[in-house]
Amino acid sequence: MAAAGSGGSAGCFPGPYPTPSGEEKNQDERQGGQCLLNGMDLLKDVTESKRFLPTGLQGYSHLESSTLFLEEACAKVCLCSASHVAARQLGHVMYLDTSNSFSPSRIARIVDGFPFSLVKLPKNVRLERVMTSIVCKSVFDIFDLFEVLHQLELSLKNKVKCGNSNICLLIIDSISALLAPINGGKYPRGRSMMMSVAMLLKKLADEHNLSVLVTNHMVAGNGAPKPALGESWKTVPHVRLAISRARGSNICTATVLKHTLLASGRVMKFPVPS
Amino acid sequence: MEIADLPISTSHRAKLLAAGYSSLAALSAASPTRLARDLSIEIQEAEDILKVAVGANKSKGVDGLSTSSVIKGAQNAWDMLSDEQSRKHINTGSADLNNILGGGIHCKEVTEIGGVPGIGKTQLGIQLAINVQIPVEYGGLGGKAVYIDTEGSFMAERVYQIAEGCISDILEYFPYCHDKALSGQERLKPESFLADIYYFRICSYTEQIAVINYLEKFLQEHKDVRIVIIDSVTFHFRQDFDDMALRTRVLSGLSLKLMKLAKAYNLAVVLLNQVTTKFTEGSFQLTLALGDSWSHSCTNRLILYWNGNERYAYLDKSPSLPVASAPYAVTVKGVRDTVSSNNSKRVRFLGMLSGANWAPIFEH
Repeated sequence: MAAAGSGGSAGCFPGPYPTPSGEEKNQDERQGGQCLLNGMDLLKDVTESKRFLPTGLQGYSHLESSTLFLEEACAKVCLCSASHVAARQLGHVMYLDTSNSFSPSRIARIVDGFPFSLVKLPKNVRLERVMTSIVCKSVFDIFDLFEVLHQLELSLKNKVKCGNSNICLLIIDSISALLAPINGGKYPRGRSMMMSVAMLLKKLADEHNLSVLVTNHMVAGNGAPKPALGESWKTVPHVRLAISRARGSNICTATVLKHTLLASGRVMKFPVPS
Repeated sequence: MEIADLPISTSHRAKLLAAGYSSLAALSAASPTRLARDLSIEIQEAEDILKVAVGANKSKGVDGLSTSSVIKGAQNAWDMLSDEQSRKHINTGSADLNNILGGGIHCKEVTEIGGVPGIGKTQLGIQLAINVQIPVEYGGLGGKAVYIDTEGSFMAERVYQIAEGCISDILEYFPYCHDKALSGQERLKPESFLADIYYFRICSYTEQIAVINYLEKFLQEHKDVRIVIIDSVTFHFRQDFDDMALRTRVLSGLSLKLMKLAKAYNLAVVLLNQVTTKFTEGSFQLTLALGDSWSHSCTNRLILYWNGNERYAYLDKSPSLPVASAPYAVTVKGVRDTVSSNNSKRVRFLGMLSGANWAPIFEH
């Protein structure tokens, strides 16, 4: 989805984009939501309704829809984000796990390590409160993923807004593991299924104000490793970060590959709690 | 959901669209005979398609539920915490190795073990196949094992030796077991240990895919299998495999299926892997075979290597444990602790059967 805005352009462009002037589009063809027709409306929308979810890792600025490329730090970063968001009681976290690496004991350790100022509850209460707002489901198949995303969409549409018990962060650990069996080769629907997953995730992110965190892995390119899933996936996420960890140390380095607000190439180092 | 998102084969999908079934509603209203006639396929295939469509329709009926069941089958982390703490582990035979693994090989997870030839991967695999059968009273899981052999390195005589070693260690640690009923004694014979290992010999990569597809049905019939060991998941994918993209696709499909089996049937899956050299950062390094994309397909990774004259195991990837290293040794009785790390024989057995919460056995 190329960002082809008219007038001044604001940062993120997740919703239906305005048509160039001179072309008529039927009101019914729009996918619901408002018609954002100029840059000022967009800017207003961004500053008012979108918000940034903290990941709890110092040095990280913010995370919106993003794809993280990781080596082994991935699951830990996901778990950190999940526990931080849940601890701040910003909403529920949905974790879709493809490699059985969701570890509740690790989350318990992370939550126990939080300072009291972050979660204003005594330790015995806060662990339960935080853990009950993280929901985990294992998906091992691209069709399972479709089903889960459709169910999520339905339930979000039907649910009446009741305080902060809505899902606000969706984490898919290793979308590349789900897309790898269908990509490439003689199976022609692989690419289109990848794109329909991408569109579904963007739709969920936009219509229901979700943050979607998706992980990918690196493959060997010419020289430096590059992210998997190829050129078509490059356009899908709004923010892309590459995370690497030097062998034997706890400090991870995150490089911004693509961002809607920041310049790419920025590097941040952060310690991952073990 | 639409027809496009249903897990049916491409030809069926094309036939459905050509016959005019463009939406889920149209499909669910059709009967199997009508569908079979319209698409000119067998009745059985039509019934399968309708089953899938009905399943998709059912998931549409979810509305207004609490968050933890907003998705069918989802659990929240608090419930999973108590599940995780009560999970059992499979003893590896060496106490140091058990310690870095957090008690042993975890069930419901896929563990990849890789190393240079001769380091003891097959020995560890056989040891696990025996140790999973240790009865519950002695701290084991009391389950059966599935051993999928691609290289042909499974020697029945060696398995017998390791089984004997395991039984003698159990008898030495639990001296009162002689009072147990005869049925208990029967179970502690090497022959019964060998009888509970289901062995598959694989000669090509298509057979490997076939056996993993067949495993689901097999596990439904044999519910007491607690571990699946694939000795050298790499072997048939290294030589004569021209199409690398096909290899990646097949391997990732395999790994997802294994993950699903591990989770659904509460068993441990152990994959043994070989090593290759990779040119990174200006030097050649030893790394596990099958490439970078395979590294995502296991939950835990253990790398076995030589350190001087001793064998060491290095936990490289784990969702909840820190990276660590531990020595181990391969003896006549199987995988045990190294002699230098434990002084007395007694301590070594304590290590092997640690975690056994055995109630007094001498009840009459």
